[in-house]
Amino acid sequence: MSSDFDDTLFPNLNHPEMIEVGVGALAIGQHPRYLMTPALGSCIGLCLWDAALKQGGMAHVMLPTTLDSMVPGTEHRFASFAVAEMVHLLHEAGSPRRRLVAKMAGGATMFRTEGTMAHIGERNAAEVKRQLDLLNIPLIAEDTGDRHARTLELRLDTGEMVVRSYLYGVHRL
Amino acid sequence: MRLENLSAMQMDALREVGNIGAGHAATALSQMTGSPISLSNPTLELVEFSAVPMLVGGAERLVAAAYCRLLGDIGGGMLLMAPRESALALIDLLHNREVGTTVSFGHAEEMLLTHVSTILSSAYLAAIARMTDMNLLPAPPSFVLDMAGAILQVATLETGMRADMALLVRTSFSDERTTVEVMLFFLPDPDSLEVILGRLGVA
Repeated sequence: MSSDFDDTLFPNLNHPEMIEVGVGALAIGQHPRYLMTPALGSCIGLCLWDAALKQGGMAHVMLPTTLDSMVPGTEHRFASFAVAEMVHLLHEAGSPRRRLVAKMAGGATMFRTEGTMAHIGERNAAEVKRQLDLLNIPLIAEDTGDRHARTLELRLDTGEMVVRSYLYGVHRL
Repeated sequence: MRLENLSAMQMDALREVGNIGAGHAATALSQMTGSPISLSNPTLELVEFSAVPMLVGGAERLVAAAYCRLLGDIGGGMLLMAPRESALALIDLLHNREVGTTVSFGHAEEMLLTHVSTILSSAYLAAIARMTDMNLLPAPPSFVLDMAGAILQVATLETGMRADMALLVRTSFSDERTTVEVMLFFLPDPDSLEVILGRLGVA
C-alpha cells in the first residue's frame, strides 16, 4: 500500500498524480500516477492493469453498444468500442494483451423505472464482460449492480481498485 | 430541435408555462400541508449536463432526487433534485416546523419528497398540456439519495443521450420564515421539445 493513500470517503480531487476520467471518456497512465472516475451510476468503470509496467487504463462506459444511441456521439461512451480501444492504447504503450487483467465496478440501477433504460446497468456490465471475453482478458474483481453510486480509483503500483460509496464506504478489490 | 438553438422568444414561451405551473403547484402544496406555501416565480435556464454537478457542489455531492418519466404524447423525464440539506429543510418547511428538525431520510421523508416531485411535475405538465392541447402525464416517480453525478447520468441516458443540455427550473419554496431552493430538470427528448414549441406557436 502506497503511503499517499487517502482513506477518507472521497479522494483528494487535487492530488497532483491523479488522472480524472470523465463521463464517457477513457485514459491510460503509469505509476506514480493513478486513475479515478467519480460518481458511477448505471455506467461501468472498467480498469485494465499490467503488473509488469505498473501501468493501466480506465474507461467510464455509459452504454453497451452504439445501437443504444440514435445519434453518433463519441465512441468512447460505448463498451463495444472502449474496451478494445483501451487495449490498443495499452499495447502501444508497451503492455501486451496477455499481461492485462481487468477489474470493474458500477452498473447500478439508480432509479426503479421502466422504459428504454431499464436494466441499463446490467446490460453495460454484460457487454463489458463479453468484450473482455472476446479479447481473452481475465476479469479478476467486480463490484457491480445494486442501487448505489460508486467512485472508482485504480492504483497503478498494486493494481488495487478502490470503490467508494455512501452506502458501503471504502471497499478495496 | 436542439436545446442550445432555443431562441429568446421560445425561452419566454417556456418560462410563461413555468410560471403557470408554479402557481398550480403552490396551491396544491398549500392544500396538502394545510399551511401557506409560496413558490417564487421560477427561473428557467439552459444548462449543460456536464456543468450540472458543479451547480450542486461536485459529482460526489450527496443529493436527494426524484425522477419520473413522461407518459402520453411526449417522451423524456423530469428530475427533481436538491442537496441533502436543502431537501431536509424543505421537509421541515412542509411540516411547518423549525428547519433542522429533520436530520435524516426515513420512509416518511422519502414519500413526502416523492409527493412534492409528483405535484411539481404534474403542475408543470398540466400547464404545458393545457397550452399545447396535448396529453401529458408523469409516471410514478422513483426516489434516490446518492451522488449527484450518478443520478444525472441516468437522467441523460433516459433522454437517449441525444441532448447535452437540460432545461433547469429553479424553484424556491417559502413560508414566512424559510426559503428553500430546489432544482427541477425538464428533460424532453429532442423530438418532443419540437412538438411542444410547435404547439406553443414558437417553433
